[in-house]
Amino acid sequence: MVGYLLNRTFQILLTLFVFMSIVFFIVNAQPGDVSNVYALNPDLPPETRERLRDLFGVNEPLWKQYLVHVRNTLTGNFGVSFSNYPRSVADIVMERLPRTLALFMTATVLSFYLGFALGKIIAWRRGGWTEYTSTIGGVTLYTVFTPWFGLMMIWLLGFKAGWLPIGKFLDPELWRDAPTDANAVFGMMIATAVAASVIVFAVFALTKKRRGSGAALIRIGSLAGSLLVAVGIWLVAGTGYLAWDIIRHMVLPVVTLTLISFAGTMLLTRSSMLETMREDYVVAARAKGLPEKDVRDRHVARNALLPVVTSFMFSLAFAVDGGVIIESIFSWPGMGQTLVSAAVAEDLPLAVGAFVFVGSFILLAHLAADVLYVYLDPRIRY
Amino acid sequence: MSERSGDAEALGGGRSPGPVLAVEGLTMHYSTRAGVVRAVDGVSFSVGKGQALGLVGESGCGKSSLALTLLKLLPENAQILSGRILLDGMDIVPLPEERMREYRWSRIAMVFQAAMNSLNPVYRVGEQIIEALEVHVESAREESLRRVRELYDLVNLDPSLIMRYPHEYSGGMKQRAVIAMALACEPDVVIADEPTTALDVIVQDHILREMKNVRAELGMSMIYVSHDMAVIAEVSDMVGVMYAGRLVELGSTVDVFRDPIHPYTRALTSAFPSVTGEKHELTVLPGEPPNMIDPPSGCRFHPRCPYATDPCRSETPPIVRRGGHWAACWNPTGEGA
Repeated sequence: MVGYLLNRTFQILLTLFVFMSIVFFIVNAQPGDVSNVYALNPDLPPETRERLRDLFGVNEPLWKQYLVHVRNTLTGNFGVSFSNYPRSVADIVMERLPRTLALFMTATVLSFYLGFALGKIIAWRRGGWTEYTSTIGGVTLYTVFTPWFGLMMIWLLGFKAGWLPIGKFLDPELWRDAPTDANAVFGMMIATAVAASVIVFAVFALTKKRRGSGAALIRIGSLAGSLLVAVGIWLVAGTGYLAWDIIRHMVLPVVTLTLISFAGTMLLTRSSMLETMREDYVVAARAKGLPEKDVRDRHVARNALLPVVTSFMFSLAFAVDGGVIIESIFSWPGMGQTLVSAAVAEDLPLAVGAFVFVGSFILLAHLAADVLYVYLDPRIRY
Repeated sequence: MSERSGDAEALGGGRSPGPVLAVEGLTMHYSTRAGVVRAVDGVSFSVGKGQALGLVGESGCGKSSLALTLLKLLPENAQILSGRILLDGMDIVPLPEERMREYRWSRIAMVFQAAMNSLNPVYRVGEQIIEALEVHVESAREESLRRVRELYDLVNLDPSLIMRYPHEYSGGMKQRAVIAMALACEPDVVIADEPTTALDVIVQDHILREMKNVRAELGMSMIYVSHDMAVIAEVSDMVGVMYAGRLVELGSTVDVFRDPIHPYTRALTSAFPSVTGEKHELTVLPGEPPNMIDPPSGCRFHPRCPYATDPCRSETPPIVRRGGHWAACWNPTGEGA
């Protein structure tokens, strides 16, 4: 296992290096260069222009530029963004990446949870009212034109009903006199969420062997308890209203994303369940006199989960580049918007930096998937 | 032996003297798109305490369907049309699913065909046995673990294997584990559907002998289902021969093998070589089992029977009794013929 992980880590680093090189050369293959934004200013005298080009290093041969690029990347220096001057690329990515991750990971987890639960039910009780409703509804949402659906959600829930804000990350008026800034609050929110999930996961793992209503009570209790404690801490800290503002802004995009994507998981789960239900160990489980629910959840769904997890890990990996469409519709300041605006503004350092971060995250998700498989399927040993 | 039987004695005044399991006129059909499949048709037999019954027949004659019917583990398109399944004198056919659950494994357990696949690959084997124990016997985890250790001992498995996964077991080990699992709740009847078909002859021999010993030790009844006459001959006291969903001959193993009445039984026994007996030409029965959607009229075996006469084609054959066995046949073969 350790050997395998080392091996995989090495492969990932190699892949990342190749990816970084390809990004560099593709960017340099386009007409013009990184100095264009400044050096093409018609007000500059020619000497100044040459001086600028020297400073940017674009007068050097390409291979020398490449070596400098590699050295900078390896030392964590992604340069300075042109369009957000003088903020560094790393700083911008560090601000936007968590926002995208929070939005898309929440939506991905919700959509897989919903899809798996529904898929499980419609496979178990085939031909029922539930199956027709969820299949027709789910597939309709899955195939609907995303921008239109996003706008409809905003129009309906944000504009007509007025329940939710129609876009953006926060309400600026509310934050004008805030004692702290949005990034600090958001960082704390993520920390809270991570801590609560770790506690809940730990409780679930500890009660794994136990069954019956007692264990279920402990699990639900841990969930409710950590939620209460988290809310309590925020209320006491006095910044709870700011966190609530961010959460309110997240609801609409998360709901939209969940609705348009859960049907994929649902249908995948359904077919995986139907396949597993034919296995002999399912008949054996029934013969043992297990209750239907145990047969379904412990024997069928547990095995049907494996292909769904594969699909989940890939979705999670791609959550990082943030659906450009969704982020644009909901004016969510995340990685998707950053990439688009960097490309439009010819902010090459930012575009390259964002790409490298996205690539690293996807590769890390693959590594996580490999580790998760070992945990889920005892037949897999590296 | 178990707390359960003690309770039963206290409540109901002991076990009824009748057979542990009695099947009377059991008929089970599958409805398929092509038509109704008459998989089990008017089957009757009974198994006494500690007895072993072997059910033989070619593939597709309804043996496995019969086995699943006894546990009422049928797919949605299957229906028990008539007949009774008496467990200690109580009919389980009309029982609702919730009640039936209590009977499964605690009263009738099963060793499945292809035991290799009847273990869930993602759970440790011991956990899968404990799971069965937890449903039927209220006991602490340590208690269950101790029981699993006992069971492993009984089937000659190393207790260090308990917390291993099925893929870490060899074929024979899996088979033993599945047998241990079937014995977990000390059932009255164990149905073994092709228990050793996928194993090599040496392992097969070991396991059959062990099953025989375990049965003698625990005093449970067994129903072996196999297409392999040699296996059935070795392990059962009684043999039932099935053809096209019907029981065509039933009796003590010795009688059935020594002096078969039904031509089908005769054909089956002569298709196997005997190591100790006289040499004889192995005869192969021509043809295939009939289509169960539209079975032949009269005696279902008549299209393949060398002795078939007119009544065989049109009328249900009468029961012929001889010694310790009977058969449904118009033209019985052997000594009395």
